[in-house]
Amino acid sequence: MNVERADFRLPVRYSGLDDILKRVPVSVVWEITLACDLACQHCGSRAGRRRRDELSTAEALDLVGQIAELGARSVGLIGGEAYLRKDWLQIVAAVRAAGMECDLQTGGRNLTADRVAAAAAAGLNAVGISIDGIGATHDRLRGVPGSFELALAAMHNVRDAGLEVGVNTQINARTLHELPELMGIIIAAGCRNWQLAITTAMGNAADHPDMLLQPWQMMDVLPLLADLAVRGREQGLFLQPASNIGYFGPHESRLRNVMDEEIHFHGCNAGDTVMGIEADGTIKSCPGLPSPYAGGNIRDRRLRDIWENAEPMAFNRRRTVDDLWGYCRTCYYAETCLAGCTWTAHALMGRAGNNPMCHHRALDFESRGLRERLVKVKDAEGRSFDHGEFEIVVEPVPACHG
Amino acid sequence: MAEPGRIPVPLRLCRGCRRFVRIENEACDFCGADLAALEAAHAGDVAALHAAMDALRAAMAAHAAPLPEREGSGVGES
Ligand code: SF4
Ligand code: SF4
Ligand SMILES: [Zn+2]
Repeated sequence: MNVERADFRLPVRYSGLDDILKRVPVSVVWEITLACDLACQHCGSRAGRRRRDELSTAEALDLVGQIAELGARSVGLIGGEAYLRKDWLQIVAAVRAAGMECDLQTGGRNLTADRVAAAAAAGLNAVGISIDGIGATHDRLRGVPGSFELALAAMHNVRDAGLEVGVNTQINARTLHELPELMGIIIAAGCRNWQLAITTAMGNAADHPDMLLQPWQMMDVLPLLADLAVRGREQGLFLQPASNIGYFGPHESRLRNVMDEEIHFHGCNAGDTVMGIEADGTIKSCPGLPSPYAGGNIRDRRLRDIWENAEPMAFNRRRTVDDLWGYCRTCYYAETCLAGCTWTAHALMGRAGNNPMCHHRALDFESRGLRERLVKVKDAEGRSFDHGEFEIVVEPVPACHG
Repeated sequence: MAEPGRIPVPLRLCRGCRRFVRIENEACDFCGADLAALEAAHAGDVAALHAAMDALRAAMAAHAAPLPEREGSGVGES
């Protein structure tokens, strides 16, 4: 059924078949600096200090033009903390002048009213604020006491400036049980878009395995999110599950239903409609992916050349069921899903193609009285976007769960 | 000209168990239901829902129409 919603417009970063056919990088996520004023326990890029070799203002502004030439519709600025780059408003203004939407994803610690007003004047469209859990939970995850209250204050500043405000939340062992209450808090604060992602075992998060969800917890996560999606919609909140949340199972339609119940996860978009840019000009097919996926650097090649011709950017469109392994290789959904989020699978298993963070898979194991558990077997080295390695243990479902 | 991206392989929704199944299926691989029959029943339900909503909208419009005249009249304010 197609549900017509005259009052609802999909964000421009949503891609359609035409975009895939023409391979338009609809949504570009650009880490403009690694400088950060928070110290998050799950930070994939291990941000903190700016990189020595970050792009200059001239290089960044030239890159904006190259992004626009590829037909991108939306540029999301991330960090680190994007507003710590002195020329960030120049970048915002250039993105807008090139005809693209620009949003800021931020921890919001120092997103003062003055800063937001200046960003609005530069043309910023929207701000997504990271809020992970309530009060002390958020403060602990973000590494700064008081950061929860500062994030809420930032939300108010954004709303007062007339900009659209959204919230990004990490789902992990510390935040999962707080999500229903958190939803009430952010609705009350005026949030209309809530993006949720499962914490990926990358960078700092790889050093905190106790924080990561286990595959069998998808049995709790998916029904909960589907329920929140429905309840949120009734209150004007649009819940957007990240592409590392899934896959299939009886809640797929409720969870991903935007305007059409037939919408379902259809595989990773990296390098097809998604592009990631690192602060030093490295181009990747998705911002989270580790360095083997880097297609090149704009200091060496034009962006179009990297996007169209660099082989590391092409893994997704080349992927077939034969590239999958483990459970995913023989899964009912293999052809459509192709093992879900590349980033999540690679960070856990050391290579893509087998993704244990999946509801359909957990349901199948449970129907046989079994569950999967991840055990860390290798530490990460301590670099940006690095990862450790995990092994999957299949065990009987304990009597107390399931 | 850019090489095209990967064309997604679409699935269809079983209105019985709400699992997605292969688009060419006649029966659901999970609950065994007849997909076309469930789809027809669902379309009937949706049509009935739309008819009920239209009736409700018409009834509300009939009530709403006199609103301007009602202002200050104290009639029908409850
Ligand atoms: S088991 Fe793998 S291929 Fe199957 S639905 Fe889950 S992630 Fe996708
Ligand atoms: S790697 Fe994951 S987050 Fe990145 S585009 Fe693919 S599915 Fe999305
Ligand atoms: Zn079914």
